[in-house]
Amino acid sequence: MSSKMNRRSFLTASAAAGAAGLLGGALFTSCSGGNKQKPLREPGTYYIPELPDKAIDGRPLKAGLIGCGGRGNGAVDNLLEAADGITITALGDVFQDRIEATRKAIAEKHGQEVPADHCFTGFDAYQKVIDSGVDMVIVATPPVFRPIHFQYATSKGVHSFLEKPICVDAKGYRTIMATAKQAEAKGLSVVTGTQRHHQRAYVESYKKIQEGLIGEITGGNVYWNQGMLWYRERQEGWSDMEWMIRDWVNWKWLSGDHIVEQHVHNIDVFTWMLGAHPVKATGVGSRQRRVTGDQYDNFSIDFEFENGIHMHSFCRQIDGCSSNVSEFIQGSKGSWNSKDFAIRDLQGNILWQYDEEAAKAEFSQHNPYVLEHVDWVNHIRKGEAHVEAAETGQSSLAGTMGREAAYTGNTITWDEISASEMDYMPEKLELGKMDMSKYTVPVPGTGK
Amino acid sequence: MKNKGVIWSIVLGGFALATVLVIAFANVDTHTTTSDYCMSCHSHEEADRLWKQSPHHLSKSGVVTDCAACHLPPKEDGLNRYYMIKLKMGAKDLWAKAVKNPEEIDWASKRQQDYAQQIVYNSSCVKCHQNLYPEGISDDGVAAHLHYEENAEKLRLNCVSCHLNAGHYIPGYTHQKLQGTVDTGPGEIYEAPASVEHFESFTETVPGTNASIRMVAVPGGEFLLGSPENEPLRRSDEGPQKKVRISRFFMAETEVTWRQFWSFYNETMSEGRTPPSVIYAANSREKVDAVSGPTPPFGFPDQGWGMGERPAITMTHYSAETFCQWLSLKTGKTYRLPTEAEWEYAARGGTSTPYFFEGNPKKYAPRGLRRLLGGADTTMIARYVIYEGNSPARTLEPSQVKPNPFGLKNMLGNVMEYCADYYAPDAYAHIPDGAVDPKGPAEGDEFVIRGGCYADGADQVRCAARNHTQHDEWLRTDPQNPKSIWWYSDIKGIGFRVVCEVPETIED
Repeated sequence: MSSKMNRRSFLTASAAAGAAGLLGGALFTSCSGGNKQKPLREPGTYYIPELPDKAIDGRPLKAGLIGCGGRGNGAVDNLLEAADGITITALGDVFQDRIEATRKAIAEKHGQEVPADHCFTGFDAYQKVIDSGVDMVIVATPPVFRPIHFQYATSKGVHSFLEKPICVDAKGYRTIMATAKQAEAKGLSVVTGTQRHHQRAYVESYKKIQEGLIGEITGGNVYWNQGMLWYRERQEGWSDMEWMIRDWVNWKWLSGDHIVEQHVHNIDVFTWMLGAHPVKATGVGSRQRRVTGDQYDNFSIDFEFENGIHMHSFCRQIDGCSSNVSEFIQGSKGSWNSKDFAIRDLQGNILWQYDEEAAKAEFSQHNPYVLEHVDWVNHIRKGEAHVEAAETGQSSLAGTMGREAAYTGNTITWDEISASEMDYMPEKLELGKMDMSKYTVPVPGTGK
Repeated sequence: MKNKGVIWSIVLGGFALATVLVIAFANVDTHTTTSDYCMSCHSHEEADRLWKQSPHHLSKSGVVTDCAACHLPPKEDGLNRYYMIKLKMGAKDLWAKAVKNPEEIDWASKRQQDYAQQIVYNSSCVKCHQNLYPEGISDDGVAAHLHYEENAEKLRLNCVSCHLNAGHYIPGYTHQKLQGTVDTGPGEIYEAPASVEHFESFTETVPGTNASIRMVAVPGGEFLLGSPENEPLRRSDEGPQKKVRISRFFMAETEVTWRQFWSFYNETMSEGRTPPSVIYAANSREKVDAVSGPTPPFGFPDQGWGMGERPAITMTHYSAETFCQWLSLKTGKTYRLPTEAEWEYAARGGTSTPYFFEGNPKKYAPRGLRRLLGGADTTMIARYVIYEGNSPARTLEPSQVKPNPFGLKNMLGNVMEYCADYYAPDAYAHIPDGAVDPKGPAEGDEFVIRGGCYADGADQVRCAARNHTQHDEWLRTDPQNPKSIWWYSDIKGIGFRVVCEVPETIED
């Protein structure tokens, strides 16, 4: 999504603001002291989702699910709640037991029977699901596979819902960026699982910030500090690959580490509000108490943006420590945070706050995980292109840049990471032996 | 009543005339924008022929892109600009048709990047090419286009920066990475390096390759480094002059040739994926048995000018140093880049005038009216130097010039040459009078380059003229990251020449 304002539209905006200033000046300036609110961007140049409680009715749609884990199952529930006239017609996963469980759940919860010959196992199951005649796919495998799945779906003209993050390395990022353009050209609807973009409180906050209520954005802090995430001990009979995939949130190559896999949500809120990606990252991170895998369990990263704006990102998955999952953005005239969705002036007075009661009176659906599917289906049924992949690709790469800064101990620039040869995908994808000596915990400053 | 009829006639007549004019103008505009019309002048038949062999004519989709689509700005950018440029282009063609002989036009120089950027409008390229990520694009292509989209304005990138051959076929041009080794031409493969018994010129033979290098014995001596303040067209970094002493050495008669450089490349080529830090570490080990050399360049770095005995160009300073390291390993001698003082001593060949031949820089580099009137007699400078005044906007083979008093060719022109020293504008101020084999500053960001190139004016090809690398600027369009440590993407007239230290075993 282009967030750049060209010079001409900037001039027009200033001229409009100037004219408004002249008019308003006569009426209000004498009492307000000329404290005009200048929008960060012209209205109409940024995307505001329509968030009705339910998707519009329209042609019946066939949906496939690639990746039958917890999030995949959740996304199916969200999709079927978001819209009528949708049938889950195909399932794909590396493991048969996952498919069976999902098939059973869909039958019990939604009364839909996925035909057995439309259930595919293996690393190439995604192709079979996409080729089975579906209109749309939910892609909820471990994120390292997202780029190739998105690429294949797009090449076949299939609409995708991509669970976040959507890439974990530089090669994947480039595939995402190119495929996003192709999806747009084909008029596809592609929604990513950064559900804050479809959460009413965030969307209203976004509007206020773009309207200029906190002034120019000057910095921020974003957090995802929580206890330990789940892990799976290796079981007898599991190959290296099977263990890694079943335990995927603990392995760098599969998840991108938790700064990408989980904390991307919060980094993404800042890049969304600012409308720009960071240009460099410097940071620290370490592994204190993670049990399996080769990841860290804490990161603290200083992201730098154009014009010298800094954003601090902080994430931790360690039990017994303080928790905080939120974002804070500082502006030249005030600040915003997502703990109470309030905008305060520089003296701490609340200028605006998300009105939950009013929203509850107006809407019945408030679950962002459902609303993102409403938006997805609406674009499909209206035949309007809508592709979020480039924007989420950039926030995923921002997380990746932060991760590499911590792993190496070096400052990493956007230019470096976006053109890097980094490719996390193993050469051979099969449930078998892996060279486990390659999967070690990075030690900053050693090049390892 | 009668009056009213007249007024109506005038109004209707005027309206009709205006309509006719608008339609006529639109027709003329359309007619004069077709490729057939452009080519009717016959003043650029070579360009027409090569266009028909280009991807814009031989496209897979069958769509033919005509002259005006690239060589005029889009009308959306402003009609005034569009018609001004159209008139200018048309007038240029008419002028060429009237006064120029098409056979004498240097078409090769019009295939160059600098010229292309003047007559191809980037907004016209992107008007058609709206999706830079078509299905099937390679990962390298995606990386390059992301680099373009993010940096086009900041780094002044144009589509033709990489796709120079899009509109007109250029033999041998590609912006793919070079594959495999490069043919260095016929010639015997040498088995052993030259053995040097006396201090006299010799021909180095590089074992395992067909490359030889003529090395000229440069006797030691004393000279004045830099130029006097009254030298015409002098710049302030050429002083203060210092009397220094230079020990004897051998220097290559010519700039390193493509045959010599490709021999090095073929033996040492590194994988493109090797990180620079690994290469630096490998090459700086105490005992290097095998040098890690350049990664494959994008396209053919000779710019389509020809290989063989032409000077090798566009390599980085590190590339040049690594060549010397390789050559030393292969021959058991000590090859390196010259210091700045050695270079100027060798270039002067015992003279102390602006050039090692006769002539006033101001006369060779006429400005203003004098230039318009035809300038000066350049017979002398053209005999020794390949520069702006006599080059066809590219390098030439060394056989085209006569040597200086030491027997060295192209010291002053053809390509700029790397020196070992870091550049500082006040470097000479820090050299004590009477210094022996002075060296430049211990630290710095850019390296000294000496001698002008084929595109430089007479002022830049004086013996004392100094210049320096511009590392970042010369890598501006390189989409890789980290950027290449071996090849520059945005400078053409840069090369180098080697010197060989005199083995201690040789007596006077």
